[in-house]
Amino acid sequence: MSARRQTPLAETINATLADLLERDPRVLLVGEDIGRLGGVFRVTRGLRERFGRERVRDSLLAESTIVGHAVGLALSGLVPVCEIQFDGFTYPAVNQLVTQAGRMVNRWNGDLRLSLVVRIPSGGGVRGVEHHSESNEALFARVPGISVAYPSSGEDADQILRHAVGMGSPVVIYEPIRLYWRRGLPDRLGGPAVPPTSARIVRRGADVTVATFGAITNDVLAAAQALSPSVETEVVDLRWLAPIDMTTVLESVARTGRLLVVHEATKDVGIGAEVAAAVSESGFDSLKCAIRRLAPERRDYPPADFERDYQIGVERIKEEVLEMVK
Amino acid sequence: MQTESLCDLDDDLRRSILRHMLTARGVDEEARQLQKQGALDLWLSCQGQEAAQVGSVLAVGPDATVFPSYREHAVALTRGVTAEELVAQWAGRTFCGWDPRDRRFFPYTLVLAAQTLHAVGYSIGRRLQGLDDFVVVYVGDGATSEGDMSEAMNLAAVESASVLFICQNNGWAISKPAAEQMVTTVAERARGFGIESALIQGDDPETVHRQCVRAAEHVRDRRSPYLIEMRVGRIHGHSTSDAQEVYRGRDDIARTAAADPVLAYADRLTGLDVVDAEWLRGVESQVRDIRERLMKKYAS
Repeated sequence: MSARRQTPLAETINATLADLLERDPRVLLVGEDIGRLGGVFRVTRGLRERFGRERVRDSLLAESTIVGHAVGLALSGLVPVCEIQFDGFTYPAVNQLVTQAGRMVNRWNGDLRLSLVVRIPSGGGVRGVEHHSESNEALFARVPGISVAYPSSGEDADQILRHAVGMGSPVVIYEPIRLYWRRGLPDRLGGPAVPPTSARIVRRGADVTVATFGAITNDVLAAAQALSPSVETEVVDLRWLAPIDMTTVLESVARTGRLLVVHEATKDVGIGAEVAAAVSESGFDSLKCAIRRLAPERRDYPPADFERDYQIGVERIKEEVLEMVK
Repeated sequence: MQTESLCDLDDDLRRSILRHMLTARGVDEEARQLQKQGALDLWLSCQGQEAAQVGSVLAVGPDATVFPSYREHAVALTRGVTAEELVAQWAGRTFCGWDPRDRRFFPYTLVLAAQTLHAVGYSIGRRLQGLDDFVVVYVGDGATSEGDMSEAMNLAAVESASVLFICQNNGWAISKPAAEQMVTTVAERARGFGIESALIQGDDPETVHRQCVRAAEHVRDRRSPYLIEMRVGRIHGHSTSDAQEVYRGRDDIARTAAADPVLAYADRLTGLDVVDAEWLRGVESQVRDIRERLMKKYAS
């Protein structure tokens, strides 16, 4: 197992954005407070100074404006990379994303490249106030015209961003807030994922497959480490939620015979249900026990004092895996 | 309300305007019939709005990129979209029957006012690339209640985007009259955002043309947005799915039909000897051919 590059996620994304701006004059960044301030998480720090305010654009505080006018920027041939300040503020932009960005290429009978990336800081664990800790990725994963990614490491964020700007169709990329500036994360298997839209096996193991994504991937890795060597857990970081690379998941389940899906968003009608259903349909014969999902019950993300109860955590992951191999 | 007397349009342009209006009327009438026969799933008639649409699109010139709403059939036809291409999406064959790039007439947007933000972004994007950034976006009065319309006006104002907003106020948001939709005019509202604007009657294509030429000059010269609100009549229902007799007074419907801008302009140009019976017969025959081709393609 190779040591993971330990540059914080925010710094990696900053460097990737800078490189994209450097290489391609069509790329521009749009978002609230991303210029003068450098973003509320400082992910875009220094970019306005380096590339100018025309290319690192402080937008109005209106999410429909951000995405709606970015659709127009993309139609004009530019490649806007938008930032929504927090996941919970995405909703005013949903109409523009779902009914417009996601349908535009089809509306143009396929004769259009709409390169449009929307970065959304997401997830809890940082004592956020209301709306600042949400995980709404499943909402967009249901929209046929939008690709959805959720990298959990700098290496993956870099690869996914570079791929997304060249896709010619809208991509929503969720970035785990609590990993932005964290160092000392658990080791994982490295190397570029092939193809860039694939899931990635971040730990090998023969006893159980855990499919997961986002910040919680590190909790799964920590649990897997703690359970080893008595139970060897294979960890699949999905990385892309729309479309999901089910081939990687099914191949892993064929080896281990057990599947647990873990995510931070609530369980009901979530990504876990989709993965579980797909494995039931196409990998049922290799299953040694029932598929399980581990995710918060259906409720609002609570006030910060209660978020530890809401978050899944390493202990619960360990318990669930042990239940499955009993 | 600004109005202008007839003066400075040459006769070729007048005949061109009338020919486009008559064509749009014929295509619209054929589409209505095709819908009644079940060949089209839905049709949103533009009857009553031909003067506003033809006058404005000819005024802004062929280079301006147009972001339409969904009732700009006369704009589309004047821009060279064929009748068959125009009707294709209403027959369920596609989401857009024409080549948007080629005609510089972008696909219809059915979610109200969403295209206003696209138009502003498109203009900003063109400007950033050093390209012609003059953009025209059409909306109806109903759509101005959407948040995106306000956001687009504000964005256009603060970015000083080269966008001409054209609001055709036909007095009805489906069944809700304009008086119940807003307490100011849309033109006044635009000024609140810092956008210069004009309110005009949209039933005379020459007034429309003249005002839109000026508005386009304003946008191009000052590189800042402008909004024109045009009062137009809606002769038929919002779409073929609503019988407007249910919610609209009989007198109002009759008045609107009587004030038909297409007939009025044909009469006026005839009275001025700009066109004669033979010219009108020639156009009628062309329109008949267009309608026949449309019928053959869709009524089978």
